[in-house]
Amino acid sequence: MKYAVETFDLTKNYGAFTAVDKLKMKIENKSIFGFLGPNGAGKTTTVKVLTCLALPTSGTATVAGYDILENPNEVRQKIGMIPQMVSLYGDLTVKENIHLCADFYGVPEDLIESRADDLMEMMDIKYAENKYVSQLSGGMKQKASVVASLIHQPDILIMDEPTIGLDPTTKRILWNLVEELHSEGRTIILCSHDMYEVELLSDDVGIINHGVLAAFDTPQGLKDAMISERKIEKTVQHSNITKIVDEIQKEASPEEKAAYDKIIDQAEKKNRDTRELSVMISNLNDNLLNQLENLSITYKITKQNSGRITMEIEDSDESVTQVISTIIMNNGIITSISTKDPSLEDVFVKVTAKKDNE
Amino acid sequence: MVETKKLKWIFKKDIMVLWRHKPRLISYLLFPIIMITLFGYGFGGTVTNIPVVVVSQSSGPVTDSTINAIKSASLYDVTDVINDPNTGKQMVLDGEVKAAIILPSNYDEIPSSTPKNVILDIDSSDEIVSSALIPTTQALFSQISNQIGIQELQATGLSATAAQSSAINVQSLNQSQALSSPAAATTAGINYQNIVNSINFQVNRLYGDISYIDFLVPGVLALVILFSCMFGMGESIAGERERGELARLFMTPTSIATVVGGKILSKLVQETGRAILLIAVAIGLFGIVIAGSLLLTLLLLVLVALCFVGLGMMISARVSTQADYQQIIQPITLPMMFLSGVFFPVETMPWIFQKLAYLIPLTYANDALRAVMLKGAGIGAIWLDIVVLLGFTALFFGLGIRGFNRDV
Repeated sequence: MKYAVETFDLTKNYGAFTAVDKLKMKIENKSIFGFLGPNGAGKTTTVKVLTCLALPTSGTATVAGYDILENPNEVRQKIGMIPQMVSLYGDLTVKENIHLCADFYGVPEDLIESRADDLMEMMDIKYAENKYVSQLSGGMKQKASVVASLIHQPDILIMDEPTIGLDPTTKRILWNLVEELHSEGRTIILCSHDMYEVELLSDDVGIINHGVLAAFDTPQGLKDAMISERKIEKTVQHSNITKIVDEIQKEASPEEKAAYDKIIDQAEKKNRDTRELSVMISNLNDNLLNQLENLSITYKITKQNSGRITMEIEDSDESVTQVISTIIMNNGIITSISTKDPSLEDVFVKVTAKKDNE
Repeated sequence: MVETKKLKWIFKKDIMVLWRHKPRLISYLLFPIIMITLFGYGFGGTVTNIPVVVVSQSSGPVTDSTINAIKSASLYDVTDVINDPNTGKQMVLDGEVKAAIILPSNYDEIPSSTPKNVILDIDSSDEIVSSALIPTTQALFSQISNQIGIQELQATGLSATAAQSSAINVQSLNQSQALSSPAAATTAGINYQNIVNSINFQVNRLYGDISYIDFLVPGVLALVILFSCMFGMGESIAGERERGELARLFMTPTSIATVVGGKILSKLVQETGRAILLIAVAIGLFGIVIAGSLLLTLLLLVLVALCFVGLGMMISARVSTQADYQQIIQPITLPMMFLSGVFFPVETMPWIFQKLAYLIPLTYANDALRAVMLKGAGIGAIWLDIVVLLGFTALFFGLGIRGFNRDV
């Protein structure tokens, strides 16, 4: 089985509203899939349909090789789900909740105890096994929920905003768990708005918007695509400007030509690939700032607080070296320096905004 | 200090929330209208139109005027005038009427050699009816008795005026002296006692002396089950749906029937346990007597619980929040309580309410429980109630399961 999940024109309507629109998506088996999308984009509805909590209006999907319409119980057996929309019984203890889930998934009686213990140990919640879920903190509830969702050893684990509202330590426990489950050969579908989390964990990322899959690639692939897309956009823009100016210049006076050349020059400058550089200089002064501003590779410089400057420079390694050497030559002391590539968040904003503009 | 702007926001927010939950809003507005309509038209404080049958074994002006007097009183709704006392009694036993007023064969004999024995065969299992019917009927025949007494005195040769004054005197004599010396009422060969008490009024309680608590317990049992099941199902389904607990179950390879079945079973056990407790307390503290089978009573209670669990499930399957559910069941449960005959006899309600009462399962539950617990009825006498309750149960479950989905 190559794909853990495969959707075929999956559509879900709520009245006149189309939440999921002919969705075609393939999630590779044994991968960690980051499932992103703005609020109301159709992410939760897709998850509901895949977990057989809602029937599709048309189309279908296979989960772990089973059709969601023809074999819903087999699908349910293969899936584990960690909230948001699912919760444990507050008036039952952690252990009772886990046993209840185990029985509902048909886990053999003799395996329940040992599996529950192992999972509780792993999630560091064994000490609270006899506490009522309603008495637990948000993080502990989440841990208990993870144990209940894994008790039947699902092949596919869907995590819906698993770390929302959790402290950094608990987040890391969950991330480690994801890695561990992945290494055991399980497929993880990670729905999250935390781009760092998705980028850190995911093999592939899909961005859903208005019910359709707007982007799908590895996190790096998406970012690279964004850089390439920027270049193409700029090239098109530049060539358009050049064409227009050439036409105008044919009949222009020398003064006008000079003005047009300036426009072209600016356009070319704009067209160059840029890199954002953030430098913190402990003894930043006006002279140094002027030196940096006058470098030919500098397009834009912004002074911030505490000696930090943000520079937009030519996109090359030599440019970075030139900035550093200029600072050193002017006796500047560099406290920190970093360059900024497009992040997954940039990709997300661009992809979802693009669809909105259409 | 109250901050006006914030106060206005809180007020506005609450109104907006209500406005945006349309089922809740409709129910919210409907509830007081239903209640005021019920009380305005149905339960004005006095019991009227109690269905009775008059058994007339004689004919003549006294019989005619008596029947006319009964018919003209708003308390009675004379469904028939027949001449067989056994048929009249059977009609009461069958629940067709609440009482049979049996006039004797010598009712029109004036003067009469023997007292006229008027018998009221009454369905004593209905305490409300009994407490209204007995004193009023007794007063009516006391009045008629006086008039007959006057006629009898006239028949013995006294002038009308003298007879009238004698009757009054005799009545006063009867009231003041009869207890101390009945013989004193006999003067000059005329038995004034007999003349004044020309009608001997007897009440025949067909189900014995039933106290108010006896009467109340079957209805209260049904009510307790109604409220418990209805409110319980809101928490059990709408509440769990709202909190996401149901989603956890529905994500597992488990059928809706299993989840719903488990909930029904748990509710049934709880309700049966509570019903047993209530009966035990009523017996222990108030000494109520169950005339019929205890087992049949319990089975009925289970059926009633099943029916209302079904109703609760049917509604909760269609709402998304517990608040919506609670608001929606209000205009269903409370009118049901008043229309079903638990507090007011169905037969005495206006026509339209009587028809509505027969569309309510609680009416059949109440009827069956009273029949078994107060009248000692067996399954043969309540089969129709059972069939109707089973029908309602099937309907509620059918619609409930149909409206249920895993989409939480």
